[in-house]
Amino acid sequence: MIERKANLSLRIRSEKMAPRSDSQTLATGSAMSDTSGESSIDPIFHILRIIPFSFLRPPRLRLKLPSFTLPSPMTVFALILLTYFLVVSGFVYDVIVEPPGIGSTQDPITGSVRPVVFMSGRVNGQYIIEGLSSGFMFVLGGIGIIMLDLALDKNRAKSVKASYATAGITSIVIAYVMSMLFIRIKIPGYLH
Amino acid sequence: MGGKQDSTKSESMATTKTAPDLLNSSIFSFKSLKLKTKQQELLIRVSILGLVYVLAFIARLFSVLRYESMIHEFDPYFNYRTTLFLTEKGFYEFWNWFDSESWYPLGRIIGGTLYPGLMVTAALIYWTLRFLRFFVHIREVCVLTAPFFASNTTLVAYFFGKEIWDTGAGLVAAVLIAICPGYISRSVAGSYDNEAVAIFALLLTFYLFVKAVNTGSLAWALGSAFGYFYMVSAWGGYVFIINLVPLYVLVLLITGRYSMRLYIAYNCMYILGMLLAMQIRFVGFQHVQSGEHMGAMGVFLLMQVFYFLDWVKYQLNDIKLFQTFLRITVTSAILVGGVALGVGTASGYISPWTGRFYSLLDPTYAKDHIPIIASVSEHQPTAWSSFMFDYHILLFLFPAGLYFCFKRLTDATIFIVMYGLTSLYFAGVMVRLILVATPAVCLISAIAVSATVKNLTSLLRTKQKVPQSGSTKGAGSSKASSKVTLDQSQPFQKNGAIALLLGVFYLLSRYAIHCTWVTSEAYSSPSIVLAARGAHGNRIIFDDYREAYYWLRQNTPTDAKIMSWWDYGYQITAMGNRTVIVDNNTWNNTHIATVGRAMSSYEDEAYDIMRSLDVNYVLVVFGGVTGYSSDDINKFLWMVRIGGGVFPVIKEPDYLVNGEFRVDKGASPKMLNCLMYKLCYYRFGELTTEYGKPTGYDRARGVEIGNKDIKLEHLEEAYTTSNWIVRIYRVKPPTNRL
Repeated sequence: MIERKANLSLRIRSEKMAPRSDSQTLATGSAMSDTSGESSIDPIFHILRIIPFSFLRPPRLRLKLPSFTLPSPMTVFALILLTYFLVVSGFVYDVIVEPPGIGSTQDPITGSVRPVVFMSGRVNGQYIIEGLSSGFMFVLGGIGIIMLDLALDKNRAKSVKASYATAGITSIVIAYVMSMLFIRIKIPGYLH
Repeated sequence: MGGKQDSTKSESMATTKTAPDLLNSSIFSFKSLKLKTKQQELLIRVSILGLVYVLAFIARLFSVLRYESMIHEFDPYFNYRTTLFLTEKGFYEFWNWFDSESWYPLGRIIGGTLYPGLMVTAALIYWTLRFLRFFVHIREVCVLTAPFFASNTTLVAYFFGKEIWDTGAGLVAAVLIAICPGYISRSVAGSYDNEAVAIFALLLTFYLFVKAVNTGSLAWALGSAFGYFYMVSAWGGYVFIINLVPLYVLVLLITGRYSMRLYIAYNCMYILGMLLAMQIRFVGFQHVQSGEHMGAMGVFLLMQVFYFLDWVKYQLNDIKLFQTFLRITVTSAILVGGVALGVGTASGYISPWTGRFYSLLDPTYAKDHIPIIASVSEHQPTAWSSFMFDYHILLFLFPAGLYFCFKRLTDATIFIVMYGLTSLYFAGVMVRLILVATPAVCLISAIAVSATVKNLTSLLRTKQKVPQSGSTKGAGSSKASSKVTLDQSQPFQKNGAIALLLGVFYLLSRYAIHCTWVTSEAYSSPSIVLAARGAHGNRIIFDDYREAYYWLRQNTPTDAKIMSWWDYGYQITAMGNRTVIVDNNTWNNTHIATVGRAMSSYEDEAYDIMRSLDVNYVLVVFGGVTGYSSDDINKFLWMVRIGGGVFPVIKEPDYLVNGEFRVDKGASPKMLNCLMYKLCYYRFGELTTEYGKPTGYDRARGVEIGNKDIKLEHLEEAYTTSNWIVRIYRVKPPTNRL
């Protein structure tokens, strides 16, 4: 900041009166990227000091370059969990093969159309809804284990720890039971 | 203890003479056997690893025990043939081999178009065994190479887990990877394919690299370069390593973890690895010419810029000067790199990404542009059930393991997280790549298991510590009450921890049951021998493929040329020992399209094409009698698509009726008269395949065929196997002109 003010003051002192032009915002942008201190080892700075800025006066702007801060590990982890959910639900399969959201069969006798949730016959085939629900179960199981670990953390109140523990155990049990149910429906001969 | 000994001695001396000697010696031996804790731990670890080693080997032996020791599938037959050639003729002949028996009339430069790692490894094992005077056949060595290397992979997984987390995680990782179906599917005994050795090389390279980054030692970096060389010689999937490692280095640089150790490790591995990789003829100069390898070079240059800036910062004392210098250098480095990349790509020196790898980044690319890649069943995207089938509870443990890694971020855990995420994404794009993701998923799940079990067992152990601290800290009223409440919750916590540990044990045992069932049912079929359940539950074996190939070997002239679809090419050359037109290498799309065109044309046009290719025999696979669904009629639309991609005279809608593929009476006339239809259903109209159905009932499609009265003009039937699965026809020479 000190450097930039020094540069502007330098230019104000050495300027000639000139009308503002549209190129000034561009000029300030390029000026900011090539500014250095008063020490002048930057050749481009010198060229720019002479060519446009000896007769152009940059306006006083309160702009800051966006600073790049790394997100916290847990933020990144949340994003990764979302991506994991998409990949494991067979999102790429849905995009390429474009199966229907839910399948349908026709009852041969009554003629009514009944929905079919699980695509049967192949291991590597799915409808969109069954993929998403299975992916949700996997993520739920993972979150259950994470909550168990949070429950064993020493720096919390006992009631919070107990609720984390119960929530974690329930999640794991539900996720495991539902996943086994899904795979048994999908593959009729499972474990026989 | 001494007093007790004397009393027992005196008692026993009163009874017999010889007993005290025995008792003394046994007491002494029991005492000397009592180990220290460290030695006990070492014994437990070594025995676990030994058991895991044996387990990984024997879990893969189902098909050897059920059928016989034979090579499975299609690609392994080519590898077997080349290994046989290597052991018979020696390395120089192998390296310079030009094969005129495949891709007639083009031939194939085998020495320059294969990855020799697998063959050389098997040949080395074979020569070692022969040196030790075990005269085994090379086929046995080839069949058992994959389980042997799977066992070695479990050891590498143990050391890798130890490097990332601790020994507990290493042991769990070894156990998980020993039986994980995702790995077993491509490394079962008889599956003599590149991946058998490549996964071992992949994990070894990654382990050595992470060790080098952790220690900064040049020796470990050298080891990782040689591991990379082994990987390049073994499999085309080495491109994953050469892109993942630079990406990892980039992430470390962004998160501010640049260090001298990283610099040494990456530079040594990249330069030496690149030079070693150029020794493989198939890879050649790709490391400096191919777009897929440019990422590594870019990161290499970036590392030099970082080091240079670090050195300049050390020399300069002025912060502002350094900031200026930093900006100029980074801008100019990026500009120079960009310009060089642009010039290289525009001039054509740097080739763009090949279709196979580009379709990983853009999965819709292959479907629209390259039907050959899209037609392979292994290249289909993955559905959730494939994940569940191959991973079971590891799918729950993976996100939990990621959480633990993020809690304790080190250079090593960042690596395993990146490896896991990138490989899982690619596994989602292509089913075959579940194999590459398996080591990462097993390692991260092992971290979750190990950390959870550690938490639970520490709960079990706190019981001893709390009363001591309560007594030493003295009695304040609050302390006393807290001690009381802690004591009240202690048994509850302890019971809860025991229950949870039992739950973990239950889940892991279910995993083991699942893995064994999947291995036994789904991944142990040789594909060349089919099995089915008969009417009374007995097992019927269909050995038609080998029957047909041996018929070819024994009943055709040695220079006969066989035309078939490319799936069977390797098997025909390996077992039938005859020249083929196209095989599984699929390097020449036009040649395959010519065969596809011949199969989908009328008999006269097909005869012209066959005469131009010097074809003597045509081989088709037909599943109508047995209900076998992977036959040529089900693959026919791919022949049409690939043929139509090069020869626009073949149009797919000609063979469909209302967009539907049919073979019964309602099928299109072009379909009912094309060569493939005629060859598959010749004389089939007279056969009754199922009780209660009309003659000519196709059991694989479930319909009665449309054209039962087939006459062949230019071909004649040579051989049909006992279950009608493989049918061979002879091409008649042209009739004499009158």
